[in-house]
Amino acid sequence: MRLLLVEDDELISRSLGQALTRLGNSVEVFASCRDARAALQGAPFDLVVLDLGLPDGDGLSLLEEIRRRGDSTPVLILTARDGLDDRVRGLDLGADDYLAKPFQLAELEARVRALLRRSQQRTDNCLSLGPLRFDPATGTSWLDDAPLDLPHRERLLLESLLLHAGNIAPREILENRLFGFGEVGTNALEVYVSRLRKRLKQSGLHIRTFRGLGYRLEEDDS
Amino acid sequence: MITVTRSIKWRMAMWLLISVLGLGALLMLEAWQSSRQAAERAFDAQLAAAALTVSEAVQWRDGVPEVIIPPAALQILATSSEERVFYAVLDADGRQLSSNWPLWPVPDALQTSLGQAPDSAPLVVDQPTLHGSLRLYGREVSSAGWVDQQPVQVWVGHTLSGREQLTWALFRQAVSRFLIMVVLAGLLMALTIRYVLAPLRRLRHQLRMRDAEDMGPLEAHVPREIRELAETLDHLFARQRQGREDLLRFTADASHQLKTPLAGLQTTTELALRSDDPDHWREALGAVHDSAARTSRLASQLLSLARLRHIQGDVTQTSLELTGLVREVALDWAGREQARHHDLGLEPLPPAPVMVTAQDWALRELLGNLIDNALHYTPAGSRISLMVNREGKDVCLAVLDDGPGVASEALERLCRPFERAGRQDTEGSGLGLAIVETIAQRLGGRVRVTNLQPHGLQVALWLPEVRLSGAGLPEKRGLPGDSSARTEV
Repeated sequence: MRLLLVEDDELISRSLGQALTRLGNSVEVFASCRDARAALQGAPFDLVVLDLGLPDGDGLSLLEEIRRRGDSTPVLILTARDGLDDRVRGLDLGADDYLAKPFQLAELEARVRALLRRSQQRTDNCLSLGPLRFDPATGTSWLDDAPLDLPHRERLLLESLLLHAGNIAPREILENRLFGFGEVGTNALEVYVSRLRKRLKQSGLHIRTFRGLGYRLEEDDS
Repeated sequence: MITVTRSIKWRMAMWLLISVLGLGALLMLEAWQSSRQAAERAFDAQLAAAALTVSEAVQWRDGVPEVIIPPAALQILATSSEERVFYAVLDADGRQLSSNWPLWPVPDALQTSLGQAPDSAPLVVDQPTLHGSLRLYGREVSSAGWVDQQPVQVWVGHTLSGREQLTWALFRQAVSRFLIMVVLAGLLMALTIRYVLAPLRRLRHQLRMRDAEDMGPLEAHVPREIRELAETLDHLFARQRQGREDLLRFTADASHQLKTPLAGLQTTTELALRSDDPDHWREALGAVHDSAARTSRLASQLLSLARLRHIQGDVTQTSLELTGLVREVALDWAGREQARHHDLGLEPLPPAPVMVTAQDWALRELLGNLIDNALHYTPAGSRISLMVNREGKDVCLAVLDDGPGVASEALERLCRPFERAGRQDTEGSGLGLAIVETIAQRLGGRVRVTNLQPHGLQVALWLPEVRLSGAGLPEKRGLPGDSSARTEV
């Protein structure tokens, strides 16, 4: 994947560049709005990591330019300002995610992975995580390239989990997807989750429960 | 922000001017009327005197009246203003016995009043003629004792310029008296205003001369009306004084807090640089990383506490739905890498929306700090729960964990800044709960920290619930990132 990193602090840009390169990406680093703007005119990027406080202008205006062009490259905003207003404005302008400094490198990596996965899925028209693949058009799924035959509701559950891959799929959304908007028993969802868990056993994937909140499809820690 | 309106002097002058003008107009009207009446009375008396003089000059010879106009009569009427003077003596048939009227038609009033003039009662008529208005005065004269003698009518008249001149003269005098009075009163008023406003000027001078650093109480002698203003200023100074002391103390604490980990970083890196052992480097780097993470967390907490405590304004609070917000915050934190090794979850929420009056960012900050605290102070694998409960008229929002809890004697001090319940060794600044406490105060709620049995800690915030009247319950908050899934249903 080709990443554009716009960050003026040398220490941060160096370590971020290294970390993101280690994830298997090629990272181009620029320290000013002007250089970044020039780079964006060239070959498209898969992800832009954008610092807001740049020496020659506000990162938000660069983001606005990108979106005005109709460019839907995922943008992750970094900022030392922690005001909620900035966050809301950034997301309003079309940023895909937002991370306030200081942040943990692991947090940044996780978010970049999730954004890249989503952008990949958009281009592939296929949902995937690790060995799992799902084609929403036909409703078929594969585990390690072996077709996985799923009953209707488990298929809906898997699709929703994959749609949220990297993030928690809220349980209300899963319930609505599986059972419609009618009343359902508290355990109904849990039943399907545990069935799907059994199928994913030994696959390198697992479904983590977030108590009262939802579920997340995760890759096992290697 | 201070908006300067018209000055007090201007206002007072304006009001005075308006009332003086109003009163003045009435006074002028009255002065004009009375001047006019006075002039009329004076000139009418002259006419009467002239008519009397003329009538005394009437002689009857064989019952036929004869008259020789005495010059004295006309002299009476001859004023300085060059008026035209007229006279006419008519017999009972209307013939002119003597008159200076021959060239002009006899005024109507004279003709119509012939024979109608009541006995002896004088008649005053204003007569418009070619030569301007005339004032005519006529009386009937008959010689007493002689029954057969014919009565005669004596008319005298003159133009009005004399009256007008007198009226104007009288009026001018009245006006100048009034104007002199107004000017004097105005001067007096200006002096009074100056005198009355002197305490305000003194206060202003005193405030202006004050040193910017001087927050001491005011020493001023002020009249009762300004006492409140002076006292308010005094309170303001006291608050400023308090605020500045708090800020200074806080800054000192903060810089101490920041210096400590920085000193640690310095010594660690210094030692590592001296060593040639890669294992030592690795260990030092680990320590540096931990310390940097701790310091940056400390810095952001300090900033948020300073902002909460020392920045006023933006106190606009709105009604917001609590359960949706709590769910959003919980989802956000549970998904973070930081929470990977904890069981961070949500206890079942009340099914109906719970409305409270608060600021969105304040509640997020508060919850974030509580969760952050719980993640820091509990071992991996601990269970952390968010809870929203209705309790009577209040809503209880709590974050509880099953960690080791806090020694009971330290519970009280927990909400003070830089208090770590004696656990100086664990990472964390001890600012989290101070932030929470400050936000709670801002929102008008109260916070309580309690230990749980057998172990664990609960931090609960009580806020008054806003009861919605009637229908129109707000929609529950949407969940983040669910648009794609929902549209497919």
